Amino acid sequence: MPILNPAIETMDRRALLELQNERLQIVINQAYSNVDFYRRKFDEAGLSPDDIKTLKDLERIPFTTRRDLMENYPYGMFAVPLRDVVRLQFPLGLYGNPIVIGYTPKDLEIWRELVARIMAGIGITEHDIIQVAFNYGLFLGAIRFNQSAELIGAAVVPASIAPAEVQLRIMKDFRSTVLASTPSFALHILEVMQKKGIDPRTLSLKIGLFGAEPWPEEVRRFIEDNWGIKAYDIYGVMELVEPGVAGECMAQAGLHIFEDHFFPEIIDPDSGKPLGPDRQGELVLTTLTTAAYPLLRYRTSDVTALHLEPCACGRTLARMERVLKRSDPMITVRGINVFPEKIREVLASFEGTGPGYKTLVSQKKGMNDQLKIEVEASVQILRATEERREALRDAIRLALRRAIGLRVEVELTKRV
Amino acid sequence: MEAGEVVSLIGANGAGKTTLLNVISGMHPSWEGSRLLNEVETKGWRAEKLVAHGIVQIPEAEKVFTPLSVLENLELGAYLRRLGRTALQQELEKVFAVFPVLRERENQPAGTLSGGERQMLALGKALMAQPRMIMPDEPSLGLAPTIVVEIFRILRSLNEQGTTILLVEQNAKESLRISHRAYVLDTGRIVLTGTGEDLLHNEEVKRAFLGKDYHGKWER
Repeated sequence: MPILNPAIETMDRRALLELQNERLQIVINQAYSNVDFYRRKFDEAGLSPDDIKTLKDLERIPFTTRRDLMENYPYGMFAVPLRDVVRLQFPLGLYGNPIVIGYTPKDLEIWRELVARIMAGIGITEHDIIQVAFNYGLFLGAIRFNQSAELIGAAVVPASIAPAEVQLRIMKDFRSTVLASTPSFALHILEVMQKKGIDPRTLSLKIGLFGAEPWPEEVRRFIEDNWGIKAYDIYGVMELVEPGVAGECMAQAGLHIFEDHFFPEIIDPDSGKPLGPDRQGELVLTTLTTAAYPLLRYRTSDVTALHLEPCACGRTLARMERVLKRSDPMITVRGINVFPEKIREVLASFEGTGPGYKTLVSQKKGMNDQLKIEVEASVQILRATEERREALRDAIRLALRRAIGLRVEVELTKRV
Repeated sequence: MEAGEVVSLIGANGAGKTTLLNVISGMHPSWEGSRLLNEVETKGWRAEKLVAHGIVQIPEAEKVFTPLSVLENLELGAYLRRLGRTALQQELEKVFAVFPVLRERENQPAGTLSGGERQMLALGKALMAQPRMIMPDEPSLGLAPTIVVEIFRILRSLNEQGTTILLVEQNAKESLRISHRAYVLDTGRIVLTGTGEDLLHNEEVKRAFLGKDYHGKWER
């Protein structure tokens, strides 16, 4: 099975541990001396960078959370001045409490290699044509497929969110061999294909590279069986790199975490206690090489388990189970992350609505498909004319669309 | 380190560079951790045993034996090898081929040599031990710029002939140029690592030496 960087990906785990220990020292020194937030955290905990000698000492460092990133917006978490930064990304949008993440040229170079490792690992070569059907505007990782494909020499078609019919036409005319998209969009394309009576064997597609939302094993099987392709999972964390933290190989036996760049821990989300391998808990990551935006023990809120036995593909990198659950109330709808606090912020800006509300999600094949919000409203509003109520529903819909990037159904209900 | 690599340790005075070399060469008596030579733990090995295994530290240049002649200094470098007259002569010839100036000075006391010549003697003496890895400590210290270039040229060519080099330097620019990898140390801690080429262009390296060059993160 193909491996892009065998020296790293099949490294003896003892040597990997040494590499991680060495890199850990550096990232801790960088974070402590260049990021006030970390210096304060260390000082408050009575810790000095000298106390963290190996990965075993890592537990002594307090966690970093998404709230920390918001509170230090915009540049408080940066370990380098802006002049060393060549890209700025804001993965939560700029509504309410945003975050902004910087990348140095070297950070981007590493990121590009990581996604290329995944591509190579599932058999993508310079002979492939990759149709990227991610939303280039909302999903900041989409552009990464372009750059990593170039590294491998594959061709990219940035089809973005063109309708399924257009995707199918591109797929047929351009002879795309790989589809990169959310699994829900892939399902949608498959449905349209079946409705139009297109035989998948008339297309050239061989590989699906899917991510940005949880998708159960049944969905994989459904896509693979009905389309005659192999479907692989790709994983990222928007506050670090997304995608590119981990990805499946041809063995489909978990996602290999790139442990030369990210040190993973699994913790009990309630007690914060580290759990060993094979136990399910929240994934916590420490960046080992990130220059601009180093994160120490960052709580991803993604629930998974790590397995350390070597994989059939020859890689020695830890394998994480596919993420199907969160330890926080965030939900993902068709690849778009929805945080309840954003919804609350939006509703608070309207008079006579909230604070109570309910989110209802309709599912398709176990994946979230439509989001509906039932908002409590005052008696005056509920007694107003249908026109007025529709105008309010419209305004809320629009505000939600702006804040989270998703079309949401809105219902007004009685206060309880 | 891998065989055949050039790795540099750079950092200001007091960063712990020489201490680390002393630990590796067996000159530093007490340390924690582990020291592996080809997967073999060498904890408790004395300096001479490490030299016999080809690990040779080259102290700063003034540490040649000044009252002894150049020839005597070189012969001492091969002391542990117990070579016969002919073999010793062959080894000397090899060193003289690298450093012709040492042949011209062979009978002079080492104390009468110039700084650059002393550094060459220190390197030559190390070569007499048939090292697998040399660890030069500040080989460019106090030398004229043209001599510095010459010393680094020699180090590079020694590496090309198969000698592994762990180099301690304050002259970051020259040492990074010949290094495959490098570490920036600060008071005993690694603050940065990368390939020589990476670090040569890294702003953070400059900061590690000269301190922060910005007031606010927003500066561009």
